[in-house]
Amino acid sequence: MTTSADLAHDIRSAGENRTALPADSVVAALWARLSAYQTLVLAMLLIVVLAALVLPPFLFLLKASIVDSHGSGEWSLANFEAVLESRRFLVSSANSLAFAAGSAVLALIIGWMTAWIVERTNTPLKPLAYLTAIISLGTPYILYVTAWLLVFGKAGPINQLYRALTGTSDVLIDIYSMPGMIMVEGFLWSPLAFLLVGATLRNANPELEEAARVSGAGLGATIRRVTLRLSLPSILALSMLVFIRAIEAFEVPALVGLPGRISVLTTDIYGNMVAKAPPDIGGASALSVLMLALVLVLLALYGRLSRHAERFATVTGKGFRPRPFELGRLRYAAAAVLVANFVLLLVVPIAMLTWVSLLPFYQPIGPAALKLVTLDNYRTVFSADHFELIANTLLVAVATATIAVALTFAAAWLAVRRAPGGWAVERLATIPLVFPGLILGIAVMQLFLHLPIPLYGTLGILIWAFVINYLPYGMRYSAAGMLQIHRELEESAEMCGASAFTRLRRIVAPLLAPALLAGWLFIFLMAARVLSLAILLAGPRSQTMAVALFDLWTNGQGTELAALGLIWSMLMAMIAAVFYAVARRSAASALART
Amino acid sequence: MERLRWRLRFIMAAVLSLPAGSARAADAALVAAAKNEGEVVWYTTQIISQLVRPVSAAFEKKYGIKVRSIRANSTELSVKIINESRAGKPQSDVFDGTSTVVPLKKEGYVLRWLPDPANAYPAQYKDPEGYWVANNLFFLTPGFNTSLVPKGTEPRSYQALLAPKWRGKMAWSTTPSSSGGPGFIGTVLTEMGNEKGMAYLRVLSQQQIANIGSAAREVLDQVIAGEYVLGLQIFNHHAVISAKKGAPVDWIKMEPATGTLSVISVHSAAPHPHAAKLLVDFIISPEGQHIFRAAEYLPADPAVPALTPSLKPDEGSFRTHFFTPEQTDHGMVTWKKVYDDLFR
Repeated sequence: MTTSADLAHDIRSAGENRTALPADSVVAALWARLSAYQTLVLAMLLIVVLAALVLPPFLFLLKASIVDSHGSGEWSLANFEAVLESRRFLVSSANSLAFAAGSAVLALIIGWMTAWIVERTNTPLKPLAYLTAIISLGTPYILYVTAWLLVFGKAGPINQLYRALTGTSDVLIDIYSMPGMIMVEGFLWSPLAFLLVGATLRNANPELEEAARVSGAGLGATIRRVTLRLSLPSILALSMLVFIRAIEAFEVPALVGLPGRISVLTTDIYGNMVAKAPPDIGGASALSVLMLALVLVLLALYGRLSRHAERFATVTGKGFRPRPFELGRLRYAAAAVLVANFVLLLVVPIAMLTWVSLLPFYQPIGPAALKLVTLDNYRTVFSADHFELIANTLLVAVATATIAVALTFAAAWLAVRRAPGGWAVERLATIPLVFPGLILGIAVMQLFLHLPIPLYGTLGILIWAFVINYLPYGMRYSAAGMLQIHRELEESAEMCGASAFTRLRRIVAPLLAPALLAGWLFIFLMAARVLSLAILLAGPRSQTMAVALFDLWTNGQGTELAALGLIWSMLMAMIAAVFYAVARRSAASALART
Repeated sequence: MERLRWRLRFIMAAVLSLPAGSARAADAALVAAAKNEGEVVWYTTQIISQLVRPVSAAFEKKYGIKVRSIRANSTELSVKIINESRAGKPQSDVFDGTSTVVPLKKEGYVLRWLPDPANAYPAQYKDPEGYWVANNLFFLTPGFNTSLVPKGTEPRSYQALLAPKWRGKMAWSTTPSSSGGPGFIGTVLTEMGNEKGMAYLRVLSQQQIANIGSAAREVLDQVIAGEYVLGLQIFNHHAVISAKKGAPVDWIKMEPATGTLSVISVHSAAPHPHAAKLLVDFIISPEGQHIFRAAEYLPADPAVPALTPSLKPDEGSFRTHFFTPEQTDHGMVTWKKVYDDLFR
């Protein structure tokens, strides 16, 4: 912790540093002149770096979409015409929207309910909710999806039980359907929704709720007329976030949608890129540009919603200690919800994966399959080249998080302090939010296939794309942290003669450290498990864990996938636990504003 | 136990191949140059756990050259190689597949070269122009879950697949190659002709066949799990591999089956050109072919018989439509379109 005494010392010594310079030397004069412009230099530098990162993928994608890939290479709108003419585009777009909307609603319902129970009531067993959420942060989605498919699939225990009870050969749940896709995607996002909603509920002043209760409103009425209404804007903003992420989703459409013949935009784009040789880059790019436009519209909407959110501000300077709702007997029902959440989102997937990882091939749970149990999959996992895979993934995730946080640390400072160029820096750092992972992958691939920079097929290209993708997240964490640091501290340092760099290093960085660390860990965890962004960029020497797990699935090594995935998730869960501890401590609680 | 059994099989295979192996050895200069390169990158369509690992292990043991591999289907591999090669950054040395080589040949990314052991192969297992040689044969048939479909009640003809009881219970791979829905369509259209074939496929499209976005191996695994009772266009040797491990699965001699070759080639701008040649030489040699045999794959070398001979049309007496890599690649444009229109 940085105390005020430390700060005072820093401010003093920051000033001394400068006066200690030999005043008569030419170097010092130059340095002095430069430091007066340091803010400007920093802004220019950042604008150049961010523009070089962010803008080329856009340009290459646009170019690829309007070059006639079939004919002479001339410019034309043929690719767009081809996409727009096909009925499939309409069907896939409609499916994408329905899927995303349903998933957002489901994730928010589950997330809100658990968050309210945990933050606002005297329900026992609260740690279960945190445990579920934290482990989910580190687990690749492909692992969850395969697990739930095993549970809810036609041969899964639920349908098996249904058949045993009814004697039919039908299924109770057809998971390979739009409701099935929504259920799985909604499950995937509900832990994050829980963490985000939880943060807003925790920071909200419960005065109004208490007033309602004092005035005689019952529990239901208080929730309906006060709590829900107050958190509506943040719920809407959050559901828009999940909605956009679900539009970009790849795992669930590929594993759940395809078998049920439900196509969405991402699976169509992926199909264009890999299902024809030579690939239809023009068609995929045109489809990508259209999807980009869709996300752009949605993000504008999201921006408006989050602006409105401020009118409902319940975070004030006033100190408060929320008094939890006394649920009485109802608290056992609430605890049952937490247990159900824990079982469904954590115990069942892990149990299913553990079962499968012990088998030579998938078999339903039963005494007959017990005879097949073996540790072969674990033996294979430990003897194969997976250490390189783990090293690759960690390297990419660490490099991405470090670069993105370093860039956005400076960017957020310029933006929040309204320095010259700050506006441009902020815009550049948040633009990548419009890029769905798969499309950014295509764009960056195009970029390095055409540029004479030898990054293609290396981990470098992955880090490049990942940094672009996670800049906006870094920005959220850094900016939220920055907003809480009053400028008076910097102003006193400036009075003492500290230059911009000195102020950044001695004042801002130490104070911002918890927020930066939380941002770093969040980006690290996301980068370590993302599939859609990496899938087209990974080469034979640059595989990451998420890509390798997806490959294991497409290659028919499902039982090995379970073994490798479980081991990896255990490692990641430990890192996620550290993340959560840091994020909770971080006064910024930036997660709430992601 | 399984491992030990496999090792025993491998030793037997090695012993069997000894006479052939000692009669010829890869060129000493080639071996030296390959060892200097130290590694070789193999883009493969073969199942890693079943075949690529044992082949790589044997090659690494013999030459001390590291084999790196990535797996995808034929088309995905072509796309990857085209992308990398157009950018002047080829990553692969060796690639295989049922039709991977054809678009690459058109773009000039394939080395015109055949290893010496290919001399012993029949003409139809080699490219007349010398760009590829077969490493094994594939026969694609339906497979079924024997605990859900008692033996004897499985569908034995194309018409039988139209029965209402199979509705919603069949799956195939989306792979745009012989081992996916498009490959099935290719065989139907070739066998029945365009008009009758399309009529049949239209009726079949009402059967709600599940599209699995992965290899036919995974489709068969889901059949074994009971997720579906019938898998179409699965590799018949995969069913045998799993059945030997105790899985409730068998394949169906539905006529005609789809017959293809898995063929292997060297990239014209391979980063490790010597190691690439050495790996292909090894795979095509009797020693390599015996590893295929031990893994229950169907060796292309006529001198190396299959471990389960009845998997092959002559020995198992079932009729097959045979597609060369060129025929597969050429037909795929149409088959994929029919597939997208009717089944997705």
